[in-house]
Amino acid sequence: MDRRPVSRSIAHVGLALTIAFGVLAGWAGYWQVFRSPDLSNAADNPAVIAAARNVVRGRILDRDGKVLATTKRDANGDPYRVYPERSVSAVIGYSSRQFGTAGLERSYAAQLIGVSDPDPIRNLLKKFEANPSDPQTLTLSLSLALQKAAVKGLGADKGAVVMLDPRTGEVLVLASTPTFDASAIANPATEDQGFAAVKDAASQPLLNRATQGRYVPGSVFKIVTATAALGSGAIDASTTFPNQAKAEQDGLLVDGFRIREHPGVPARTLDLAHATEVSSNIFFALAGLKTGGGALAEYAAKLGFSGDVGFDLPVAASQVTNGSGKQPGGFVDDVELANASYGQAETFVTPFQMALVAATVANGGELMQPHLVTALSGRSGTRTVSPSPLRRVISEGAAAAINAAMVRAVEGTLGRQFTPGAAVPGITTAGKSGTAELGGSGEPHSWFIGFAPANDPQIAIAVLVERGGRGAQRAVPLAGSLLKMYFDTVAK
Amino acid sequence: MSSSAPATLALPRILGPIRPRPRWREARLLAVVAVTILVGSISLSLAQRAPDAPSGGLEPAEPFHLTVYLGVLLLAHLAQVMAGRRTDQVLLPAVGLLGGISLLLMERLPQNLVVQTVGKTDLGLADVQLVWLVLSIGLATTLAIVVRSDRWLRLYKYTWAAAGVGLLLLTFVLGTEINGQRLTLSFGPVSGQPSELLKVILVVFLAGYLSENRSLLVEQSTRIGPISLPPVPYLAPMVAMWAIALGIVVVQRDLGAALLFFAVFLLLLYTATGRAGYVVLGLILFIVGAFVMYQLVDHVRTRVDIWLDPFADPSGAGYQVVQSLYAFARGGLLGTGLGAGLPLISGRLPIPAIQTDFPLAALGEELGLVGIMAILGIYLVVIERGLRIGAAARDDFRALLASGLALVVGVQAFIIAAGNLKLIPLTGITLPFISYGGSSLLVNGIVVGLLLALSDKGVEPPPPPRQPGRLARLARRAG
Repeated sequence: MDRRPVSRSIAHVGLALTIAFGVLAGWAGYWQVFRSPDLSNAADNPAVIAAARNVVRGRILDRDGKVLATTKRDANGDPYRVYPERSVSAVIGYSSRQFGTAGLERSYAAQLIGVSDPDPIRNLLKKFEANPSDPQTLTLSLSLALQKAAVKGLGADKGAVVMLDPRTGEVLVLASTPTFDASAIANPATEDQGFAAVKDAASQPLLNRATQGRYVPGSVFKIVTATAALGSGAIDASTTFPNQAKAEQDGLLVDGFRIREHPGVPARTLDLAHATEVSSNIFFALAGLKTGGGALAEYAAKLGFSGDVGFDLPVAASQVTNGSGKQPGGFVDDVELANASYGQAETFVTPFQMALVAATVANGGELMQPHLVTALSGRSGTRTVSPSPLRRVISEGAAAAINAAMVRAVEGTLGRQFTPGAAVPGITTAGKSGTAELGGSGEPHSWFIGFAPANDPQIAIAVLVERGGRGAQRAVPLAGSLLKMYFDTVAK
Repeated sequence: MSSSAPATLALPRILGPIRPRPRWREARLLAVVAVTILVGSISLSLAQRAPDAPSGGLEPAEPFHLTVYLGVLLLAHLAQVMAGRRTDQVLLPAVGLLGGISLLLMERLPQNLVVQTVGKTDLGLADVQLVWLVLSIGLATTLAIVVRSDRWLRLYKYTWAAAGVGLLLLTFVLGTEINGQRLTLSFGPVSGQPSELLKVILVVFLAGYLSENRSLLVEQSTRIGPISLPPVPYLAPMVAMWAIALGIVVVQRDLGAALLFFAVFLLLLYTATGRAGYVVLGLILFIVGAFVMYQLVDHVRTRVDIWLDPFADPSGAGYQVVQSLYAFARGGLLGTGLGAGLPLISGRLPIPAIQTDFPLAALGEELGLVGIMAILGIYLVVIERGLRIGAAARDDFRALLASGLALVVGVQAFIIAAGNLKLIPLTGITLPFISYGGSSLLVNGIVVGLLLALSDKGVEPPPPPRQPGRLARLARRAG
């Protein structure tokens, strides 16, 4: 009988099990080493929750060292959070024993509690210390003075203001109204009433409108279209469309749908700068059609529309289309593409995203990594977050062309009529207003994005006022006053 | 039922002349094990000391537990020395180390997870586990010394199989349902999980069946196209095994046992025949069965969905697995140290059923990746010793029996460890020698005892091989 000895099969089985256990060890390594940092710092990790109950969290400071979040102790000696400044509620969020965390209190929970050290080696050595927790104090790039002014300027309206330094990506203002009383939620004595007051309120104060609110952009979206059109080479700064003059009067016929111009646009061919100055819908519809849906979606993604820009707070994804169509980029047809090109159709954006668009143009076409936290400091020292480029979106030449067009929209003879009060006296200001029609009755959303000084941009801004009327009515003058305040105070 | 050689049941000869034989290797390894457990115990007591307590000397966490456990290991060693058997000297230390880790873990977990009242004293988690560990090691040692013949296993394989099936049916019908699983069988105050015992019975039956029919399984084949299949009559056991596994999944909702039985069956079939075709065929059956179960059975679908993305519902369905992964992640490379991990959330442990289903996650947190690799390494040592005993055995039955017993331990450890680590869907079976639980520890004690007995070089020679193909002949005669 020709039989293979059993022992050889046994050896094979032993080898197979050895490999299986090797895979198991490797898989353990994946979770315990490779995935360890992000899982250990997850906000619902019991270690983070347990530490949060006893540990005195680090403070949160603005760029000038003003306290935005600190800690007190209740009658039992247990710590709870106090937030002296209501204007930053959307940014800081809250940390409550009962209702968990939100805002930076959530995304930086592990660092504030001190279970995670930014330095991996120290992180490893910490377990040999008697008291391993090292709460970090966060210093933000936020300017409390500007933030307060933004919230005050928005007043009783719902809306958002985002200001950032285009050269570094540092965010100076991230305002969302209405604000809420985070201290009331964090204080164990008032937490139930404090949370009940905002949880189901119709005005949705817990929604951070700057990063999570998605709005029809209207004409401010034309800057995105211009970025895609110039970036893809579909047009250049001097491109004109011969059929534009007639279309301005009779409307532009796209697939049987007639796109109408708003009043105030002269019936002649325009180049990019002049079309931006008068905010021609027809020009940008034609430019968008020439660019194509695929390139428009591609450049929108480069500008950060997916929301995945590594910001310190979660950012909702913006969209150029809902993607239900089969045309390139997900558009249904050319009508949708044409309408999207001047910011109507199925286009929705966050104010934060539009601030990134302005910042990208301002910074010569390169988008910097946006961030709020500039330094983490604890017992073991301070780590600063240095500026880093996220990606180049368009060339410097293309950015310069859009910059020039946006200057015309603020400083030009015709442009001034759309953007009264945006220009900072003595400083060349670039920008674009927007009036987002929502259909039906009611006021449109009022938009402005821009930056200054145009020849050496130091600050970029996006302002949105829900149902604020035409851009010129609410967003534009507010942006102008905030830019002026920036140059009067911060930039000094 | 058998007309062949009269079955003489060889009674154990306990009262032979005593000729002690030293076991130096086992003694040295046990010394290492004792030091390891002692160091772990001291580390645990340091971690459990209140942070503001005056720094005292170094002392073990539960001196009484430690003394009893190490004493029992020493007794097991001495008993084998006195018996003078030439049995394997690595298994006892390896298993002893796993048991010691188990004891430390149970001392470290909240004692009120399990409370048994005996007379007027309440026994906590570690107390009860210690009792089971002692009984398990005692059982292993007794079997190692007393079992000198394998006839009682070899000759009655169909009786064993019938007993196994009976036990299974009894659990199907009379089992107590706990957490939606019908696994526990209770008789008055005594309760246990028969599926633990079933795995040993399965191995005994398979070793008997496969060794007897090995030549037929190897040599004959039915060709269908390019695939060479085993002779059709011999496919029957595979299909039956498959059906039983599926039955366990549906009726008992015990995915772990089903997976364990089927995997051990396939591996033993390969060991006996050396034919990869069987494994391929078995895997195809497995995939078909798994797919059908996923479509039809709710709890299978739930388990698989949790496995695919536990973070989809981190506070609901995926809670246990997510918490397990968090625990592993907190451990990192070196771990938090024994007793320093697993934070309590409002007085509760974050992982439910940690002492039975997730001990590896707890150990992963406190001992780190280094500790996990060490524990996996010890399991490999146990597997390797078992397979080695199988490879050195004098005939096919013993070879398959020893390999099968080693595989039962190894595959079970793999299934639950992989489930804890989200490598495969989670199933609720125990981590051998470490998980809390009497049934598991006692049955694994039987496994170790049988392996030790099989490794004895002085045991009586196996009976002459029987003519193969009895089953086929019976079938032909009947038909």
